[in-house]
Amino acid sequence: MSDSFLTADPNETFSMLEGMLSAAAPRVRSTDVPAIFEVKALDVSYGSKRVLHDVSLEIPEKRITAFIGPSGCGKSTALRCLNRMNDEIPSFNMRGKIRLAGQDIRAKSVNITALRRNVGMVFQQPNPFPMSIYDNIALAVREHDGRISRSELDGIVEQALKHASLWDEVKKGLKDSALSLSGGQQQRLCIARALAVKPAVIMLDEPCASLDPISTARIEELLLELSADYSIVIVTHNMAQAKRISDKVAFFLMGRLLEYGDALQVFEAPQRNETAEYVSGAFG
Amino acid sequence: MQSIKTGGRHDLASRIGVALCWIASILVAAVCVFIIGYLLQQGWHSLSWKFLSTDPVQSLTEDQAGGIRTPMVGTAILVLASILLALPLALGAAIYLAEYMDERRWITRIVRVGLETLASVPSVVFGMFGLALFTLGAFKFLSSGGAQGSSMSYGRSFLVASIVMGIHILPFVIKVSEEAIRNIPRSLRQGALALGMTKWRTIWKVVLPAARPGLATAAVLGMGLAAGDTAIVWLTLGGSMTMGVDAWWQPHNWLAVLKGAGSTLTTYAYFNSPAGDGNSPGAAFGAAFVLMCIVLLFNLGAVLLFRRRDLTGR
Repeated sequence: MSDSFLTADPNETFSMLEGMLSAAAPRVRSTDVPAIFEVKALDVSYGSKRVLHDVSLEIPEKRITAFIGPSGCGKSTALRCLNRMNDEIPSFNMRGKIRLAGQDIRAKSVNITALRRNVGMVFQQPNPFPMSIYDNIALAVREHDGRISRSELDGIVEQALKHASLWDEVKKGLKDSALSLSGGQQQRLCIARALAVKPAVIMLDEPCASLDPISTARIEELLLELSADYSIVIVTHNMAQAKRISDKVAFFLMGRLLEYGDALQVFEAPQRNETAEYVSGAFG
Repeated sequence: MQSIKTGGRHDLASRIGVALCWIASILVAAVCVFIIGYLLQQGWHSLSWKFLSTDPVQSLTEDQAGGIRTPMVGTAILVLASILLALPLALGAAIYLAEYMDERRWITRIVRVGLETLASVPSVVFGMFGLALFTLGAFKFLSSGGAQGSSMSYGRSFLVASIVMGIHILPFVIKVSEEAIRNIPRSLRQGALALGMTKWRTIWKVVLPAARPGLATAAVLGMGLAAGDTAIVWLTLGGSMTMGVDAWWQPHNWLAVLKGAGSTLTTYAYFNSPAGDGNSPGAAFGAAFVLMCIVLLFNLGAVLLFRRRDLTGR
Protein backbone atom coordinates (compact mmCIF):
# COMPACT_ATOMS: atom_id res chain seq x y z
CA MET A 1 0.00 0.00 0.00
CA SER A 2 1.50 3.29 -0.98
CA ASP A 3 2.34 5.81 1.62
CA SER A 4 1.32 8.87 -0.33
CA PHE A 5 -2.21 10.07 -0.31
CA LEU A 6 -1.95 11.46 -3.80
CA THR A 7 -0.75 8.38 -5.59
CA ALA A 8 -2.82 5.77 -3.76
CA ASP A 9 -5.43 3.71 -5.52
CA PRO A 10 -8.69 5.74 -5.20
CA ASN A 11 -10.77 2.76 -4.16
CA GLU A 12 -8.35 1.95 -1.40
CA THR A 13 -8.37 5.56 -0.26
CA PHE A 14 -12.16 5.68 -0.09
CA SER A 15 -12.53 2.47 1.82
CA MET A 16 -9.83 3.57 4.23
CA LEU A 17 -11.43 6.95 4.84
CA GLU A 18 -14.78 5.24 5.27
CA GLY A 19 -13.27 3.00 7.88
CA MET A 20 -11.76 5.98 9.64
CA LEU A 21 -15.02 7.90 9.74
CA SER A 22 -17.09 5.01 10.99
CA ALA A 23 -14.57 4.13 13.65
CA ALA A 24 -14.91 7.57 15.23
CA ALA A 25 -16.48 6.09 18.33
CA PRO A 26 -14.30 6.27 21.47
CA ARG A 27 -12.49 3.19 22.75
CA VAL A 28 -13.67 1.15 25.67
CA ARG A 29 -10.59 -0.50 27.14
CA SER A 30 -10.54 -0.51 30.90
CA THR A 31 -8.23 2.13 32.36
CA ASP A 32 -8.23 0.56 35.79
CA VAL A 33 -4.55 -0.26 35.54
CA PRO A 34 -1.50 0.89 37.49
CA ALA A 35 -0.18 4.35 36.73
CA ILE A 36 3.19 4.69 35.02
CA PHE A 37 3.38 8.45 35.57
CA GLU A 38 2.03 10.43 38.51
CA VAL A 39 1.89 14.18 38.10
CA LYS A 40 1.08 16.23 41.22
CA ALA A 41 0.44 19.95 41.36
CA LEU A 42 2.58 20.76 38.35
CA ASP A 43 3.22 24.48 37.91
CA VAL A 44 5.37 25.62 35.00
CA SER A 45 6.60 29.05 34.01
CA TYR A 46 9.05 30.36 31.46
CA GLY A 47 10.60 33.36 33.17
CA SER A 48 7.67 35.36 34.46
CA LYS A 49 5.17 33.77 32.11
CA ARG A 50 3.06 31.10 33.77
CA VAL A 51 2.04 28.35 31.37
CA LEU A 52 0.73 25.56 33.58
CA HIS A 53 -1.29 25.86 36.77
CA ASP A 54 -1.66 23.07 39.28
CA VAL A 55 -1.88 20.12 36.90
CA SER A 56 -2.40 16.71 38.49
CA LEU A 57 -3.03 13.47 36.67
CA GLU A 58 -1.96 9.85 36.37
CA ILE A 59 -0.94 8.24 33.10
CA PRO A 60 -2.10 4.63 32.96
CA GLU A 61 0.33 1.92 31.98
CA LYS A 62 0.07 0.34 28.52
CA ARG A 63 -2.77 2.56 27.45
CA ILE A 64 -3.02 5.55 25.15
CA THR A 65 -3.52 8.87 26.91
CA ALA A 66 -4.32 11.90 24.83
CA PHE A 67 -3.68 15.51 25.79
CA ILE A 68 -6.13 17.69 23.89
CA GLY A 69 -6.89 21.38 23.91
CA PRO A 70 -6.60 24.50 21.75
CA SER A 71 -3.25 25.99 20.69
CA GLY A 72 -1.18 27.45 23.50
CA CYS A 73 -3.05 25.65 26.27
CA GLY A 74 0.10 24.05 27.67
CA LYS A 75 -0.35 20.45 26.54
CA SER A 76 3.01 20.26 24.77
CA THR A 77 4.71 21.87 27.76
CA ALA A 78 3.16 19.27 30.05
CA LEU A 79 4.37 16.53 27.75
CA ARG A 80 7.90 17.86 27.67
CA CYS A 81 8.03 17.92 31.46
CA LEU A 82 7.67 14.16 31.49
CA ASN A 83 11.07 13.57 29.92
CA ARG A 84 12.62 16.78 31.21
CA MET A 85 13.18 18.16 27.72
CA ASN A 86 12.16 21.52 29.18
CA ASP A 87 15.34 21.49 31.24
CA GLU A 88 17.15 22.60 28.09
CA ILE A 89 15.32 25.93 28.19
CA PRO A 90 17.13 28.42 30.45
CA SER A 91 14.05 30.30 31.65
CA PHE A 92 12.15 27.12 32.53
CA ASN A 93 10.84 26.86 36.06
CA MET A 94 8.85 24.00 37.53
CA ARG A 95 7.10 23.26 40.81
CA GLY A 96 5.30 20.11 41.81
CA LYS A 97 6.22 16.48 41.47
CA ILE A 98 6.41 14.04 38.62
CA ARG A 99 6.93 10.38 39.38
CA LEU A 100 7.82 7.69 36.88
CA ALA A 101 7.08 4.23 38.30
CA GLY A 102 7.23 5.72 41.77
CA GLN A 103 10.54 7.61 41.33
CA ASP A 104 10.70 11.39 41.35
CA ILE A 105 12.19 12.22 37.95
CA ARG A 106 13.84 15.36 39.29
CA ALA A 107 15.64 13.62 42.12
CA LYS A 108 19.39 14.14 42.23
CA SER A 109 19.96 10.42 41.82
CA VAL A 110 18.16 10.33 38.50
CA ASN A 111 20.36 10.19 35.41
CA ILE A 112 18.67 12.33 32.81
CA THR A 113 19.93 10.32 29.84
CA ALA A 114 18.55 7.15 31.41
CA LEU A 115 15.24 8.90 31.97
CA ARG A 116 15.05 9.99 28.36
CA ARG A 117 15.94 6.52 27.21
CA ASN A 118 12.95 5.24 29.14
CA VAL A 119 10.59 7.96 28.03
CA GLY A 120 10.93 8.29 24.28
CA MET A 121 9.66 11.20 22.28
CA VAL A 122 8.48 11.68 18.71
CA PHE A 123 8.08 15.20 17.44
CA GLN A 124 5.60 16.99 15.25
CA GLN A 125 7.94 17.37 12.30
CA PRO A 126 9.80 14.14 11.54
CA ASN A 127 13.43 14.77 12.42
CA PRO A 128 15.54 11.86 11.17
CA PHE A 129 19.29 12.40 11.34
CA PRO A 130 20.98 13.06 8.00
CA MET A 131 22.45 9.56 7.96
CA SER A 132 21.45 6.17 6.67
CA ILE A 133 18.29 4.49 7.95
CA TYR A 134 20.42 1.93 9.75
CA ASP A 135 22.57 4.55 11.46
CA ASN A 136 19.54 6.55 12.56
CA ILE A 137 18.43 3.65 14.66
CA ALA A 138 21.85 2.32 15.62
CA LEU A 139 23.23 5.65 16.87
CA ALA A 140 21.40 5.91 20.17
CA VAL A 141 21.64 2.16 20.77
CA ARG A 142 25.42 2.36 20.43
CA GLU A 143 25.47 5.40 22.72
CA HIS A 144 23.83 3.49 25.51
CA ASP A 145 25.70 0.23 24.94
CA GLY A 146 29.14 0.82 23.49
CA ARG A 147 30.15 -2.82 23.42
CA ILE A 148 27.25 -4.12 21.40
CA SER A 149 28.19 -6.50 18.61
CA ARG A 150 27.34 -5.87 15.01
CA SER A 151 24.98 -8.84 14.74
CA GLU A 152 23.14 -7.85 17.89
CA LEU A 153 22.80 -4.34 16.54
CA ASP A 154 21.46 -5.67 13.23
CA GLY A 155 18.86 -7.59 15.21
CA ILE A 156 17.80 -4.55 17.20
CA VAL A 157 17.51 -2.41 14.08
CA GLU A 158 15.37 -5.03 12.37
CA GLN A 159 13.16 -5.45 15.43
CA ALA A 160 12.66 -1.72 15.80
CA LEU A 161 11.76 -1.28 12.13
CA LYS A 162 9.34 -4.21 12.29
CA HIS A 163 7.75 -2.80 15.43
CA ALA A 164 7.30 0.50 13.67
CA SER A 165 5.77 -1.18 10.66
CA LEU A 166 8.54 0.05 8.38
CA TRP A 167 10.72 -3.02 7.90
CA ASP A 168 9.20 -4.33 4.69
CA GLU A 169 9.55 -0.97 3.00
CA VAL A 170 13.19 -0.36 3.83
CA LYS A 171 14.79 -3.76 4.40
CA LYS A 172 16.42 -3.69 0.99
CA GLY A 173 17.90 -0.22 1.46
CA LEU A 174 19.05 0.20 5.05
CA LYS A 175 22.10 2.12 3.91
CA ASP A 176 20.02 4.66 2.02
CA SER A 177 19.73 8.11 3.47
CA ALA A 178 16.86 8.56 5.88
CA LEU A 179 16.05 11.83 4.15
CA SER A 180 15.06 9.98 0.99
CA LEU A 181 11.99 8.53 2.73
CA SER A 182 8.54 10.06 2.51
CA GLY A 183 7.12 12.09 5.40
CA GLY A 184 5.08 9.24 6.80
CA GLN A 185 8.00 6.85 6.50
CA GLN A 186 10.32 9.33 8.21
CA GLN A 187 7.90 9.62 11.11
CA ARG A 188 7.72 5.85 11.42
CA LEU A 189 11.52 5.83 11.35
CA CYS A 190 11.51 8.28 14.25
CA ILE A 191 9.16 5.95 16.10
CA ALA A 192 11.46 3.00 15.34
CA ARG A 193 14.42 5.04 16.57
CA ALA A 194 12.63 5.67 19.86
CA LEU A 195 11.60 2.02 20.15
CA ALA A 196 15.14 0.76 19.60
CA VAL A 197 16.33 1.97 23.01
CA LYS A 198 13.51 0.03 24.67
CA PRO A 199 11.52 2.73 26.44
CA ALA A 200 8.66 2.13 28.83
CA VAL A 201 6.76 5.17 27.61
CA ILE A 202 6.48 6.70 24.17
CA MET A 203 5.35 10.30 23.92
CA LEU A 204 4.24 11.83 20.66
CA ASP A 205 3.72 15.55 20.15
CA GLU A 206 1.18 15.92 17.32
CA PRO A 207 2.97 13.26 15.29
CA CYS A 208 0.57 13.32 12.36
CA ALA A 209 0.21 17.08 12.04
CA SER A 210 2.32 17.22 8.90
CA LEU A 211 1.16 13.93 7.36
CA ASP A 212 -1.50 13.00 4.85
CA PRO A 213 -4.57 10.95 5.96
CA ILE A 214 -3.20 7.62 4.81
CA SER A 215 0.09 8.04 6.68
CA THR A 216 -1.89 9.28 9.66
CA ALA A 217 -4.08 6.19 9.60
CA ARG A 218 -1.04 3.93 9.43
CA ILE A 219 0.55 5.63 12.42
CA GLU A 220 -2.67 5.45 14.41
CA GLU A 221 -2.89 1.73 13.63
CA LEU A 222 0.70 1.41 14.76
CA LEU A 223 0.05 3.20 18.04
CA LEU A 224 -2.87 0.94 18.78
CA GLU A 225 -0.60 -2.09 18.29
CA LEU A 226 2.20 -0.57 20.32
CA SER A 227 -0.06 0.21 23.27
CA ALA A 228 -0.05 -3.48 24.11
CA ASP A 229 3.59 -3.19 25.13
CA TYR A 230 4.25 0.51 25.75
CA SER A 231 2.51 3.31 27.60
CA ILE A 232 1.66 6.01 25.10
CA VAL A 233 0.99 9.69 25.62
CA ILE A 234 -0.05 11.68 22.59
CA VAL A 235 -0.66 15.37 22.23
CA THR A 236 -3.13 15.99 19.48
CA HIS A 237 -5.05 18.82 17.95
CA ASN A 238 -7.17 16.38 16.08
CA MET A 239 -10.34 15.53 18.00
CA ALA A 240 -11.28 12.68 15.76
CA GLN A 241 -7.85 11.16 16.23
CA ALA A 242 -8.22 11.37 20.00
CA LYS A 243 -11.58 9.69 19.70
CA ARG A 244 -10.20 6.96 17.49
CA ILE A 245 -7.29 5.82 19.55
CA SER A 246 -7.18 7.13 23.10
CA ASP A 247 -8.16 5.35 26.29
CA LYS A 248 -7.87 8.37 28.57
CA VAL A 249 -8.21 11.99 27.64
CA ALA A 250 -6.87 15.10 29.38
CA PHE A 251 -8.42 18.38 28.28
CA PHE A 252 -6.22 21.43 28.80
CA LEU A 253 -7.37 25.00 28.55
CA MET A 254 -5.26 28.10 29.27
CA GLY A 255 -2.69 26.18 31.24
CA ARG A 256 -5.15 24.31 33.41
CA LEU A 257 -6.26 20.73 33.29
CA LEU A 258 -10.02 21.17 33.07
CA GLU A 259 -11.09 17.61 32.66
CA TYR A 260 -9.43 14.22 32.79
CA GLY A 261 -11.19 10.90 32.35
CA ASP A 262 -11.91 7.91 30.19
CA ALA A 263 -12.23 8.72 26.52
CA LEU A 264 -15.79 7.46 26.38
CA GLN A 265 -16.84 9.70 29.23
CA VAL A 266 -14.99 12.84 28.06
CA PHE A 267 -16.39 12.65 24.56
CA GLU A 268 -19.91 11.40 25.19
CA ALA A 269 -20.65 12.91 28.59
CA PRO A 270 -18.16 15.63 29.47
CA GLN A 271 -18.48 17.06 32.95
CA ARG A 272 -17.53 20.64 32.10
CA ASN A 273 -19.12 23.00 29.65
CA GLU A 274 -15.82 24.02 28.15
CA THR A 275 -14.99 20.42 27.41
CA ALA A 276 -18.35 19.89 25.76
CA GLU A 277 -17.86 23.00 23.65
CA TYR A 278 -14.32 22.13 22.60
CA VAL A 279 -15.16 18.53 21.83
CA SER A 280 -18.09 19.55 19.69
CA GLY A 281 -15.93 22.00 17.79
CA ALA A 282 -17.44 25.22 19.13
CA PHE A 283 -13.90 26.65 19.51
CA GLY A 284 -10.27 25.67 19.17
CA MET B 1 -14.58 50.22 -7.50
CA GLN B 2 -11.18 51.82 -8.06
CA SER B 3 -9.71 51.84 -11.53
CA ILE B 4 -7.45 48.94 -12.38
CA LYS B 5 -5.97 50.79 -15.32
CA THR B 6 -4.46 53.87 -13.77
CA GLY B 7 -2.09 54.40 -10.85
CA GLY B 8 1.28 52.80 -10.41
CA ARG B 9 2.93 55.80 -8.84
CA HIS B 10 6.21 54.05 -8.23
CA ASP B 11 6.54 52.16 -11.49
CA LEU B 12 9.20 54.43 -12.98
CA ALA B 13 11.26 54.59 -9.80
CA SER B 14 11.12 50.80 -9.53
CA ARG B 15 12.36 50.38 -13.04
CA ILE B 16 15.22 52.84 -12.53
CA GLY B 17 16.15 51.09 -9.30
CA VAL B 18 16.32 47.70 -10.99
CA ALA B 19 18.32 49.15 -13.88
CA LEU B 20 20.87 50.71 -11.53
CA CYS B 21 21.33 47.42 -9.71
CA TRP B 22 21.82 45.70 -13.01
CA ILE B 23 24.43 48.25 -14.08
CA ALA B 24 26.26 47.83 -10.76
CA SER B 25 26.41 44.07 -11.24
CA ILE B 26 27.67 44.41 -14.79
CA LEU B 27 30.36 46.83 -13.61
CA VAL B 28 31.55 44.42 -10.94
CA ALA B 29 31.66 41.57 -13.42
CA ALA B 30 33.49 43.80 -15.90
CA VAL B 31 36.15 44.70 -13.33
CA CYS B 32 36.64 41.00 -12.63
CA VAL B 33 36.97 40.16 -16.27
CA PHE B 34 39.35 43.07 -16.81
CA ILE B 35 41.66 41.98 -14.00
CA ILE B 36 41.76 38.40 -15.19
CA GLY B 37 42.23 39.51 -18.76
CA TYR B 38 45.05 41.89 -17.92
CA LEU B 39 46.87 39.32 -15.83
CA LEU B 40 46.57 36.83 -18.62
CA GLN B 41 47.76 39.28 -21.21
CA GLN B 42 50.80 40.34 -19.21
CA GLY B 43 51.79 36.95 -17.96
CA TRP B 44 50.74 34.72 -20.82
CA HIS B 45 54.12 34.44 -22.44
CA SER B 46 55.67 33.24 -19.22
CA LEU B 47 53.15 30.46 -18.68
CA SER B 48 54.32 27.06 -19.72
CA TRP B 49 54.86 23.67 -18.20
CA LYS B 50 58.53 24.57 -17.76
CA PHE B 51 57.47 27.63 -15.84
CA LEU B 52 55.51 25.56 -13.42
CA SER B 53 58.02 22.83 -12.95
CA THR B 54 61.40 24.51 -12.63
CA ASP B 55 62.82 26.43 -9.76
CA PRO B 56 63.53 30.14 -9.87
CA VAL B 57 67.07 31.21 -10.67
CA GLN B 58 68.87 34.36 -9.67
CA SER B 59 69.44 36.23 -12.87
CA LEU B 60 69.56 39.68 -14.30
CA THR B 61 67.41 38.98 -17.29
CA GLU B 62 63.90 37.77 -17.30
CA ASP B 63 64.20 34.94 -19.77
CA GLN B 64 66.66 33.25 -17.51
CA ALA B 65 64.58 33.75 -14.39
CA GLY B 66 63.53 30.14 -14.20
CA GLY B 67 60.14 28.89 -13.09
CA ILE B 68 57.91 29.08 -10.07
CA ARG B 69 58.11 25.61 -8.67
CA THR B 70 59.71 26.65 -5.40
CA PRO B 71 57.18 29.40 -4.64
CA MET B 72 54.35 27.05 -5.56
CA VAL B 73 55.64 24.47 -3.12
CA GLY B 74 56.05 27.28 -0.61
CA THR B 75 52.42 28.32 -1.03
CA ALA B 76 51.31 24.72 -0.60
CA ILE B 77 53.36 24.26 2.56
CA LEU B 78 52.14 27.51 4.06
CA VAL B 79 48.49 26.90 3.27
CA LEU B 80 48.50 23.38 4.61
CA ALA B 81 50.43 24.22 7.75
CA SER B 82 48.30 27.25 8.62
CA ILE B 83 45.01 25.44 8.19
CA LEU B 84 46.28 22.46 10.18
CA LEU B 85 47.15 24.82 13.02
CA ALA B 86 44.02 26.94 12.78
CA LEU B 87 41.33 24.35 12.17
CA PRO B 88 41.29 22.50 15.51
CA LEU B 89 41.35 25.77 17.41
CA ALA B 90 38.65 27.25 15.19
CA LEU B 91 36.46 24.19 15.51
CA GLY B 92 36.73 24.17 19.28
CA ALA B 93 35.95 27.86 19.50
CA ALA B 94 33.07 27.55 17.05
CA ILE B 95 31.52 24.67 18.97
CA TYR B 96 31.80 26.59 22.21
CA LEU B 97 30.35 29.75 20.71
CA ALA B 98 27.50 28.00 18.95
CA GLU B 99 26.50 25.48 21.58
CA TYR B 100 27.64 26.45 25.03
CA MET B 101 28.06 30.19 25.12
CA ASP B 102 25.25 31.97 26.88
CA GLU B 103 24.51 35.10 24.86
CA ARG B 104 23.28 37.01 27.87
CA ARG B 105 26.46 36.90 29.89
CA TRP B 106 28.94 39.76 29.78
CA ILE B 107 31.85 37.45 29.15
CA THR B 108 30.25 36.44 25.88
CA ARG B 109 30.29 40.05 24.72
CA ILE B 110 33.99 40.27 25.55
CA VAL B 111 34.80 37.13 23.58
CA ARG B 112 32.85 38.34 20.58
CA VAL B 113 34.43 41.78 20.64
CA GLY B 114 37.82 40.11 20.93
CA LEU B 115 37.14 37.99 17.88
CA GLU B 116 35.90 40.94 15.88
CA THR B 117 39.02 42.89 16.79
CA LEU B 118 41.26 40.01 15.81
CA ALA B 119 39.43 39.79 12.52
CA SER B 120 40.04 43.43 11.72
CA VAL B 121 43.77 43.50 12.44
CA PRO B 122 45.60 44.22 9.17
CA SER B 123 47.81 41.36 8.10
CA VAL B 124 50.93 43.53 8.05
CA VAL B 125 50.42 44.15 11.75
CA PHE B 126 50.27 40.41 12.30
CA GLY B 127 53.47 40.08 10.30
CA MET B 128 55.27 42.64 12.43
CA PHE B 129 53.97 41.08 15.59
CA GLY B 130 55.21 37.74 14.40
CA LEU B 131 58.60 39.12 13.52
CA ALA B 132 58.96 40.84 16.88
CA LEU B 133 57.85 37.81 18.82
CA PHE B 134 59.60 35.04 17.00
CA THR B 135 62.97 36.74 16.84
CA LEU B 136 63.16 36.38 20.60
CA GLY B 137 65.79 33.90 21.63
CA ALA B 138 63.25 31.61 23.20
CA PHE B 139 61.89 30.71 19.79
CA LYS B 140 65.12 29.52 18.22
CA PHE B 141 63.60 26.11 17.67
CA LEU B 142 61.15 27.51 15.18
CA SER B 143 63.58 28.86 12.66
CA SER B 144 67.03 28.01 11.45
CA GLY B 145 69.52 30.33 9.85
CA GLY B 146 70.75 33.64 11.13
CA ALA B 147 73.96 34.44 12.93
CA GLN B 148 75.52 31.80 15.16
CA GLY B 149 76.02 32.76 18.73
CA SER B 150 73.36 35.41 18.61
CA SER B 151 70.86 35.47 21.42
CA MET B 152 68.08 36.25 19.01
CA SER B 153 66.57 33.71 16.72
CA TYR B 154 66.34 34.25 13.02
CA GLY B 155 62.60 34.49 13.30
CA ARG B 156 61.75 33.68 9.73
CA SER B 157 60.67 30.30 8.55
CA PHE B 158 57.71 28.36 7.29
CA LEU B 159 56.85 27.43 10.85
CA VAL B 160 56.79 31.02 12.02
CA ALA B 161 54.84 32.12 8.94
CA SER B 162 52.33 29.31 9.42
CA ILE B 163 51.74 30.18 13.04
CA VAL B 164 51.17 33.83 12.27
CA MET B 165 49.06 33.01 9.22
CA GLY B 166 47.06 30.56 11.28
CA ILE B 167 46.21 33.31 13.74
CA HIS B 168 45.34 35.64 10.88
CA ILE B 169 42.80 33.26 9.34
CA LEU B 170 41.47 32.06 12.69
CA PRO B 171 38.64 34.58 13.22
CA PHE B 172 37.37 34.02 9.71
CA VAL B 173 37.36 30.25 9.97
CA ILE B 174 35.70 30.49 13.39
CA LYS B 175 32.98 32.72 12.02
CA VAL B 176 32.14 30.47 9.08
CA SER B 177 32.32 27.31 11.20
CA GLU B 178 30.08 28.81 13.85
CA GLU B 179 27.54 29.68 11.15
CA ALA B 180 27.70 26.17 9.80
CA ILE B 181 27.05 24.69 13.23
CA ARG B 182 24.25 27.11 14.04
CA ASN B 183 22.58 26.28 10.76
CA ILE B 184 21.95 22.72 11.82
CA PRO B 185 18.25 22.75 12.79
CA ARG B 186 17.35 22.58 16.45
CA SER B 187 15.02 19.67 15.70
CA LEU B 188 18.01 17.39 15.09
CA ARG B 189 19.51 18.22 18.47
CA GLN B 190 16.14 17.73 20.16
CA GLY B 191 15.72 14.36 18.50
CA ALA B 192 19.11 13.21 19.78
CA LEU B 193 18.57 14.56 23.30
CA ALA B 194 15.17 12.87 23.46
CA LEU B 195 16.89 9.55 22.75
CA GLY B 196 18.99 9.95 25.87
CA MET B 197 22.18 11.31 24.30
CA THR B 198 24.21 13.86 26.21
CA LYS B 199 24.73 17.32 24.75
CA TRP B 200 28.39 16.72 24.00
CA ARG B 201 27.69 13.41 22.23
CA THR B 202 24.86 15.05 20.32
CA ILE B 203 27.29 17.67 19.07
CA TRP B 204 29.95 15.12 18.25
CA LYS B 205 27.79 12.45 16.64
CA VAL B 206 24.90 14.38 15.11
CA VAL B 207 25.60 18.09 14.75
CA LEU B 208 29.21 18.05 13.55
CA PRO B 209 28.72 15.30 10.96
CA ALA B 210 25.68 17.16 9.68
CA ALA B 211 27.72 20.37 9.53
CA ARG B 212 30.57 18.74 7.62
CA PRO B 213 29.96 20.51 4.29
CA GLY B 214 29.80 23.88 6.03
CA LEU B 215 32.92 23.15 8.05
CA ALA B 216 34.77 22.02 4.96
CA THR B 217 33.75 25.29 3.32
CA ALA B 218 35.21 27.18 6.28
CA ALA B 219 38.50 25.30 5.93
CA VAL B 220 38.73 25.80 2.20
CA LEU B 221 37.94 29.50 2.42
CA GLY B 222 40.57 29.84 5.13
CA MET B 223 43.07 28.13 2.86
CA GLY B 224 42.24 30.57 0.08
CA LEU B 225 42.86 33.43 2.47
CA ALA B 226 46.19 31.99 3.52
CA ALA B 227 47.24 31.48 -0.08
CA GLY B 228 46.63 35.09 -1.00
CA ASP B 229 48.34 36.98 1.80
CA THR B 230 51.57 38.81 1.12
CA ALA B 231 52.42 40.97 4.12
CA ILE B 232 52.64 38.17 6.63
CA VAL B 233 54.67 36.00 4.30
CA TRP B 234 57.06 38.77 3.37
CA LEU B 235 57.76 39.62 6.99
CA THR B 236 57.89 36.18 8.50
CA LEU B 237 59.22 34.08 5.66
CA GLY B 238 61.14 36.43 3.44
CA GLY B 239 61.44 35.98 -0.27
CA SER B 240 64.43 33.80 -0.87
CA MET B 241 64.59 32.07 -4.21
CA THR B 242 65.41 28.73 -2.82
CA MET B 243 64.13 26.54 -0.05
CA GLY B 244 66.33 26.09 2.97
CA VAL B 245 66.97 22.48 2.00
CA ASP B 246 67.68 21.12 -1.44
CA ALA B 247 65.77 17.85 -1.43
CA TRP B 248 62.62 19.24 0.12
CA TRP B 249 60.44 16.42 -1.06
CA GLN B 250 62.10 13.85 1.14
CA PRO B 251 60.14 13.32 4.37
CA HIS B 252 63.19 13.23 6.59
CA ASN B 253 64.01 16.73 5.42
CA TRP B 254 60.59 18.11 6.15
CA LEU B 255 61.31 19.48 9.60
CA ALA B 256 64.35 21.28 8.24
CA VAL B 257 62.26 22.67 5.43
CA LEU B 258 59.69 23.98 7.89
CA LYS B 259 62.35 25.64 9.93
CA GLY B 260 63.96 27.12 6.86
CA ALA B 261 63.28 30.01 4.59
CA GLY B 262 61.54 30.00 1.27
CA SER B 263 58.96 31.93 -0.68
CA THR B 264 55.39 31.71 -1.79
CA LEU B 265 53.68 32.83 -4.97
CA THR B 266 52.70 36.07 -3.30
CA THR B 267 56.22 37.06 -2.28
CA TYR B 268 57.57 35.84 -5.60
CA ALA B 269 55.13 38.06 -7.45
CA TYR B 270 56.01 41.01 -5.23
CA PHE B 271 59.73 40.45 -5.55
CA ASN B 272 59.68 40.23 -9.32
CA SER B 273 57.25 43.02 -9.87
CA PRO B 274 58.52 46.55 -10.58
CA ALA B 275 58.14 47.25 -6.86
CA GLY B 276 60.62 44.57 -5.83
CA ASP B 277 64.21 43.82 -6.79
CA GLY B 278 63.70 40.88 -9.07
CA ASN B 279 63.02 42.72 -12.31
CA SER B 280 61.02 39.99 -14.03
CA PRO B 281 57.59 41.52 -14.34
CA GLY B 282 56.47 38.92 -16.88
CA ALA B 283 57.27 36.14 -14.45
CA ALA B 284 55.55 38.10 -11.70
CA PHE B 285 52.36 38.34 -13.71
CA GLY B 286 52.60 34.68 -14.56
CA ALA B 287 52.91 33.83 -10.90
CA ALA B 288 50.04 36.19 -10.08
CA PHE B 289 47.85 34.47 -12.61
CA VAL B 290 48.68 31.03 -11.24
CA LEU B 291 47.98 32.27 -7.72
CA MET B 292 44.65 33.68 -8.78
CA CYS B 293 43.71 30.35 -10.36
CA ILE B 294 44.59 28.56 -7.15
CA VAL B 295 42.47 30.87 -5.03
CA LEU B 296 39.62 30.65 -7.53
CA LEU B 297 39.82 26.87 -7.33
CA PHE B 298 39.63 27.05 -3.55
CA ASN B 299 36.55 29.25 -3.72
CA LEU B 300 34.90 27.01 -6.30
CA GLY B 301 35.63 24.05 -4.11
CA ALA B 302 34.00 25.85 -1.20
CA VAL B 303 30.87 26.57 -3.23
CA LEU B 304 30.59 22.97 -4.39
CA LEU B 305 31.12 21.65 -0.88
CA PHE B 306 28.51 24.02 0.47
CA ARG B 307 25.96 22.89 -2.12
CA ARG B 308 26.33 19.29 -0.99
CA ARG B 309 24.51 20.04 2.22
CA ASP B 310 21.27 20.34 0.30
CA LEU B 311 21.48 16.87 -1.15
CA THR B 312 20.54 13.63 0.49
CA GLY B 313 22.51 14.57 3.52
CA ARG B 314 24.86 11.65 3.28
